[in-house]
Amino acid sequence: MADQLPLSDIRILDMMWVMAGPASTRVLADYGAHVVRVESSRRFDTARTIGPFQKNQITTESSGLFLNMNAGKLGITIDPGNPKGREIVLDLVRWADVVAESFSPRAMRKWGLDYEALRAIKPEIVMLSSCLMGQTGPLASFAGYGNLAAAISGFFNLGGWPDRAPCGPFGAYTDYVSPRLAASAMLAALEWRDRTGEGQYIDLSQAEASLSFLGPALLDYTANGRVAQRSGNSDCVMAPHGIYPCAGDDRWIAIACRDDHDWTALCESLGLSELSGDPRFGSLAARRENHVDLDALISDRTRGLDPLELQLRLQNRQIPAHQVHNSAEAVTDPQLAHRGHFVPLEHSTLGPIVVEGSRFRLSRTPARVNRAAPAIGQDTQYVLQKILGYSEERITELVAAGALE
Amino acid sequence: MLSPYQVLDLTNERGLLCGQILGDLGADVIKIEPPGGSRARSFGPFLDDRQGPEKSLYWWAFNRNKRSITLNLDKPEGRTILEQLASKAHFLIESETPGEMAARALGYENLASLNPALVYVSISPFGQDGPKARYADADLVVLAAGGPLIIGGDEDRAPVRVSVPQAYLHASAEAAMAALIAHRERQRSGRGQHVDVSAQQAVAQATQSYILSVPLESDQIQRMSGGVKVGPLKVQLVWQVRDGNVAVVFLFGSAIGPYTRRLMEIVHAEGYCDEATLNKDWLRYTELMLSGQEPLAEYERLKGIVGQFLAGKTKTELLELALKCGLLIAPVTTIEEVVNSPQLAARGFWTEVHHPEVGRTIRYAGPFAKFSRSPIRQRRRPPMIGEHNREIYFQLGYSDPQLESMQRRGVI
Repeated sequence: MADQLPLSDIRILDMMWVMAGPASTRVLADYGAHVVRVESSRRFDTARTIGPFQKNQITTESSGLFLNMNAGKLGITIDPGNPKGREIVLDLVRWADVVAESFSPRAMRKWGLDYEALRAIKPEIVMLSSCLMGQTGPLASFAGYGNLAAAISGFFNLGGWPDRAPCGPFGAYTDYVSPRLAASAMLAALEWRDRTGEGQYIDLSQAEASLSFLGPALLDYTANGRVAQRSGNSDCVMAPHGIYPCAGDDRWIAIACRDDHDWTALCESLGLSELSGDPRFGSLAARRENHVDLDALISDRTRGLDPLELQLRLQNRQIPAHQVHNSAEAVTDPQLAHRGHFVPLEHSTLGPIVVEGSRFRLSRTPARVNRAAPAIGQDTQYVLQKILGYSEERITELVAAGALE
Repeated sequence: MLSPYQVLDLTNERGLLCGQILGDLGADVIKIEPPGGSRARSFGPFLDDRQGPEKSLYWWAFNRNKRSITLNLDKPEGRTILEQLASKAHFLIESETPGEMAARALGYENLASLNPALVYVSISPFGQDGPKARYADADLVVLAAGGPLIIGGDEDRAPVRVSVPQAYLHASAEAAMAALIAHRERQRSGRGQHVDVSAQQAVAQATQSYILSVPLESDQIQRMSGGVKVGPLKVQLVWQVRDGNVAVVFLFGSAIGPYTRRLMEIVHAEGYCDEATLNKDWLRYTELMLSGQEPLAEYERLKGIVGQFLAGKTKTELLELALKCGLLIAPVTTIEEVVNSPQLAARGFWTEVHHPEVGRTIRYAGPFAKFSRSPIRQRRRPPMIGEHNREIYFQLGYSDPQLESMQRRGVI
């Protein structure tokens, strides 16, 4: 079976951590790439310290973030700062097509594992470095997490209400954006290698990669001099356009009216027919202009309604609407269930767990998500013996030398 | 890298970024627009605030490195031409409501019968099938369904989105990656396939895995102004400083605890806290709070101290401090500050793009990654409507008089 997956001919040495890096190799593993994930037990992956934690138990194995980002990978512990540990890493480089790392720019150089060193032993290697701000420039050494990159690249300031401090999109936003571009970069570089025989080095700044998601706002400034501001949930085209309260605790519905047709249908569906004749709301432009009043009137009506029932009612009229899912509602969403979004797996120490499946489908060669993320060092023996062909004696020496910590 | 390959980009406003990523990577991307231009050209902002299909900055943002032709797929002749193009293309990308391409006999099955090697990419709100496949959609609707909205915003107001629409950009970037995975398989098997991208599933990535809270039997987190509520903990992530806001990771544990220790050393050195506060167990602090050994009121007091320390400093001072001392602090920047960032300037990130049609040179965001051997180049500015009709239709064997006739009949 494995040989039929699209990427079964790709071997990846994954020296990434937290989310932005591991998310990119997780997808490649879903589609058959052989991914060996290096961790050091001296400094294990930060993702292991970030929630949600299975059953609220904070242990090094129970992070849902780590489990979700690393399904399908083999896990080995190596101390790359140990000279014998470094030798193992170099053997994995010889095995690999791609080396991907997401440390701060200094770390790989310090270990003698920078691109020049890797190229010396394997000229055709593709190496991708993914860090917050890129390998060069005055902020090259600025280490941190995706929420900081989201703050410094403009996303954070654009999330929230105009009369309040910014609240940003949730969490490490650039970690959601950049993995797709990192994975695409690796695949394109392999295409180039296959055609020319040349390897190369890819310097991906998570902040820069993410800026393509702000393209129109960047051009509005560079061409028009206008600085985009956060505007709550109001839209520059649609109105009404917002998140409206529903019956129950923290339950909401998103509604977006694209045109007069949607608007009339909404008024009818909510029993607000008197509003469709109200001159304050007589056109899209008028509705945008008076959206504060409009949102208040709609909220008054939705407040007593069940969000799912309302979603079905509005979608029956083809009005863009959806309840605002929390985790509990997402899990019971018939659409996500139909798409197989939640995948049950068996973890070596935790027992049954759940991860997200592939976010897309390939009709002929669908993803295979059937192996839970590795516990720390779970596959160290397997990788050393079966992939690198090390003898028992050699492995014993490595253990004694502290190389496998 | 992808220069041997041709991409037919039929997307509307939902999918434009996918083709741009493939174009950046070197593919020959042909944007196929209906006569009169893509609906996406009606999206603002507009150059000099003058509305018009050749002035849409929304269009410009997602269409570099593409050529444009017009083609009316609602006419039989237009469909025949598309079949002709698809029989030689390597990728086709579309973002119609599921079923609409098939209704025009241009669905995956139709075109695969002409070109079995075609990688056919569909970007849709909820995926090609399932009970919501034909749901009416919008950015906000997809974000609501995918999970990230409920945890973003202030606790006393509705959940809130980023004011620049994001949902279909997630889906489009996902689609480019998915197309390249299918392409690699084709290199071996010689066969294409249907790539079916769900925007709902793509934006679920933006929950940072908290969509798994309930299946993992963990407490759900809740949105909070400038942070997030995790169980009983009110985690502050954004703080007010003298000239705006900064993001600070004031968290604990084996990985982040040492950063917090370094921050507290400075807070202590500047006289904001006593030695006992400095010497708390930052590696195990979360566990101490959750077990009740450390009262939550003490955590609130610590946040107050950090807040006082930050409030007297500017964003720039704090960024310099973060660089010098290895702290997890970053300024919350405006778009203006992003464009004028010394970091982006030092890396040569921006690209000046000449638009002869409006007589302006405009600064664009640069490549998404720096490749040492095969760098991404800005080869073409975003195309005008049907700008490449002649060059592309000539290659298909059409003559000028034929093109004129096709234009008259509304085919192109």
